[in-house]
Amino acid sequence: MKTTLKVLTLLLALSMYSCFENKKKVYANAEDIPVNREMIAELTSPPNVPRGVGKRKAKKLIVKMEILEKEGEMTDGVKYMYWTFGGSVPGSFIRTRVGDEVEFHLQNHPDNKLPHNIDLHAVTGPGGGAESSFVAPGHEKVFSFKTLNPGLYVYHCATAPVGMHIANGMYGLILVEPAGGLPRVDKEYYIMQGDFYTKGKNGERGLQPFDMQKAVDENADYVVFNGKVGSLTGDNALTAKVGETVRLYVGNGGPGLVSSFHVIGEIFDRVHIEGGSLVNENVQTTLIPAGGAAMIEFRVDVPGTFIIVDHSIFRAFNKGALGMLKVEGEKDKKIYSGEIRDGIYLPEGPGIQSMPTTGEIIASEVPAKSFEEQMEFGKQAYMQTCVACHQAEGQGIPNAFPPLAKSDYLNADVDRAIDIVLHGKTGEITVNGKNYNSVMTRQMLSPDEIANVLTYVYNSWGNSGKKVSKEMVLKVKNKK
Amino acid sequence: MKHLKVFFSIFVIVLTLASCNSNKSKNAQDELAVYECPMHCEGEKTYNEPGSCPICKMDLIQVEENTSKSLNNNEISEESIFNLTSQWHTEENATIQLKDLKGKTLVMVMIYTSCKAACPRLVADMRNIEAQIPKEKLKDLNFILVSIDPETDTPERLKAFAKENLIDGEQWTFLQGTKSSVREFANVLAVKYKQISPLDFSHSNIISVFNSEGELVHQQEGLGVDNKETVETILELTQ
Amino acid sequence: MKIQAFRLLFVLLFFQTMLFAQSDGMVFIEGSRYLPLYGRDSTVVEVKDFEMDIYPVTNAEFLDFVKLYPNWQKSNALKLFTDKSYLANWKNDLELKKSEKLNSPVTYVSWFAAKAYCECQGKRLPTVDEWEYVAMSDETTKDARVKSSYNEQILAWYEAPRSNENKIGQTPKNAWEVYDLHGLVWEWTLDFNSVLITGESRKDVDKDSNLFCGSASLNATDLMNYAAFMRYAIRGSLKAKYSMKNLGFRCVKDLNE
Repeated sequence: MKTTLKVLTLLLALSMYSCFENKKKVYANAEDIPVNREMIAELTSPPNVPRGVGKRKAKKLIVKMEILEKEGEMTDGVKYMYWTFGGSVPGSFIRTRVGDEVEFHLQNHPDNKLPHNIDLHAVTGPGGGAESSFVAPGHEKVFSFKTLNPGLYVYHCATAPVGMHIANGMYGLILVEPAGGLPRVDKEYYIMQGDFYTKGKNGERGLQPFDMQKAVDENADYVVFNGKVGSLTGDNALTAKVGETVRLYVGNGGPGLVSSFHVIGEIFDRVHIEGGSLVNENVQTTLIPAGGAAMIEFRVDVPGTFIIVDHSIFRAFNKGALGMLKVEGEKDKKIYSGEIRDGIYLPEGPGIQSMPTTGEIIASEVPAKSFEEQMEFGKQAYMQTCVACHQAEGQGIPNAFPPLAKSDYLNADVDRAIDIVLHGKTGEITVNGKNYNSVMTRQMLSPDEIANVLTYVYNSWGNSGKKVSKEMVLKVKNKK
Repeated sequence: MKHLKVFFSIFVIVLTLASCNSNKSKNAQDELAVYECPMHCEGEKTYNEPGSCPICKMDLIQVEENTSKSLNNNEISEESIFNLTSQWHTEENATIQLKDLKGKTLVMVMIYTSCKAACPRLVADMRNIEAQIPKEKLKDLNFILVSIDPETDTPERLKAFAKENLIDGEQWTFLQGTKSSVREFANVLAVKYKQISPLDFSHSNIISVFNSEGELVHQQEGLGVDNKETVETILELTQ
Repeated sequence: MKIQAFRLLFVLLFFQTMLFAQSDGMVFIEGSRYLPLYGRDSTVVEVKDFEMDIYPVTNAEFLDFVKLYPNWQKSNALKLFTDKSYLANWKNDLELKKSEKLNSPVTYVSWFAAKAYCECQGKRLPTVDEWEYVAMSDETTKDARVKSSYNEQILAWYEAPRSNENKIGQTPKNAWEVYDLHGLVWEWTLDFNSVLITGESRKDVDKDSNLFCGSASLNATDLMNYAAFMRYAIRGSLKAKYSMKNLGFRCVKDLNE
């Protein structure tokens, strides 16, 4: 019995060892990775992506991509003839693993008018596959390539004139995941920016043809995400819940413009720069070249609508490069409190203050010689000093500053008015039946100027018509 | 009485045996003949006895004795270039139709004699291929060079070209057609060409291999391209 | 004297009709020289006088053809000359599908079939140079390539879907009185395989002398003429046995002068 037990444990140990041995097989060169059986690739339309590769082995992956020329709507009332891979702009998302042998079937629908081909940036080979995939309508071309490098790559049509084919929407993304797959996240989305050039201006209605000259000049009419204005807004907005991690696969089909990709109110925790293996962290805005891509990961911590833009900002607000990420869930006031308080801001503050001066007030150089001059100088002084609170017609501001026009309080006592201008006033007063409880600071005006400004006030807006002289002012001044 | 019975039974037995024998001899003769389904439902499959085809139920017909494969001598398959009825002149000034080339594996290329750039290299590529075929197989091969410029490349000129380039052997044939037949032939091979000056053509560089029935089996595009696959295909066809 | 003059006039008139007798359904195209899109070093090509079909060949005409020549019927055509989609829009050898019209241009035909049709009528397919020469005219001008309206009209067709359900003769005729060179279907030409683009358009700018002997000298003369560009692209993508939903043809005839 003992010996059989020993033998059994020995056998068990040996078998476990071989298990461990198998798991460690790593290939130095991607081209040496063997493929294990066939699989038909799952292709998805934007903004969705296929399931991750997870831990699956490299396979022979069969991709069937159909090219369709179809009419679509760029924005309200504006129609455009799109040339598409898989019926959408951008084209279907292809998800592969390093070492996969992709058997690519490019099918050109018989209703199409033009030949097309495909250049996948994930292909190592002449033209990225374009040479071997040139296909006339009603035909299919097949070629095969092995994915050697992990990363996020653009694919596009490369038939002459290339710029026109790309500008009409023939671009998309192909992801090559590393062995073991990318780390799991809660939400993954597919966004691709593109610029469009139409004969008419932005917003001009009707079926708009492509404008080659504008494209050559890189003068875009529309810069949009996923082929049309509003593709990611309103009901089409991307969604997430507070606390989830979001990964965006973002590409830029061009054909002309580079993208300054930013999500307003979020910071990118990790960015795979240009879709490669180098990761940058804590990024606000990342640059995505035309014909390039980036993988962006961030955790959403607070609810709200986060606007996705190209931060060359006129493109976002005037040309359509605007999308939305709507996040639902519990607020976190520590991270973002929202509005706390709404108050008034006045530079002087609550108590009577005086403006800092060197010393005595310097009398005006040229005293007023006549009533008319008093009125003139007084008006000038009023417009400089008093108008901010008491307003241009002396009407004041209800509940804040008492009126001077037809003011019972003013007309009742001239000396009191002079006193207020000289020394300021606080406390509650009643003017024309209304209560005011505010602060008036003392005014830094010379006696001449006070006389002038009060003469102006008393002789305007239906007031008593009193004339105030310098002597009267001095009398009040010297009383204190 | 008993003897008679025994004798009678022996007689009967002997008769049946004898008839068996005669059956056998008949069969022996029949065994030399071979039968096949007239619709070739099972491809090349043949039967030793008459009967009916298990797939389409037609009566099996006797196969005629000949050296070639299942097709009759005068039948040309749907995909064969021998369907082209155009007439051609060789460098020996003989007039032939393409079907006169039937029976050998064909290695064909389109060139023109005044070509300075690619054609000499194409010829060199053809020679490379020839060098890799064992000598005893060469008699089953025909290297054919078709001229893109039938106006300039007369049989005399083609013969001179052959001598100059040391490709004047039995297995090398040059063909001059007409503008129209050359265009048609090129389209069958998917060769593109354009006249760009009185003496110059721009053309794709393709070497094509046809089996002895004239069906296109393999193409090699480009100059100085690795001809391993082409040679392999030729060797297979000349088994 | 009068009678003599009258006779002479009569004789002259008679000869005149013989000289300018046009074949049925064709117009006379006066030859000239012009600069095509793809040529050698901006070389001008010469097109000689010829006659061209006014309309592309219709389903009705092709039906008559296959009745006379059953070896071109859908079930009989040789695999050397046609592919699986030959006459795909015909129900059987002698009947169109219900959705197809008799006076629509015939499509889903291969180059070999088109060539045979023309040859059986004593005509032939037009060369690329001849076709482009007649096609570069709009309604009023014989060479309208510089007019932006001409290019825009053509491009508008490339953007509009499903146009070959149309009948022949729906668009205005051009200055030569030929209809439907643009706006209906692509058309086969005799030497379509003289367009030496690989389809890998980035390399077409480069001299790829390995694939194409002498290709260094061929380049598009006017890169902005991308309407014509696309016609050349279609021609470069075709093989002679292909047939396509949007591809038909018409014939031309040489003049025996």
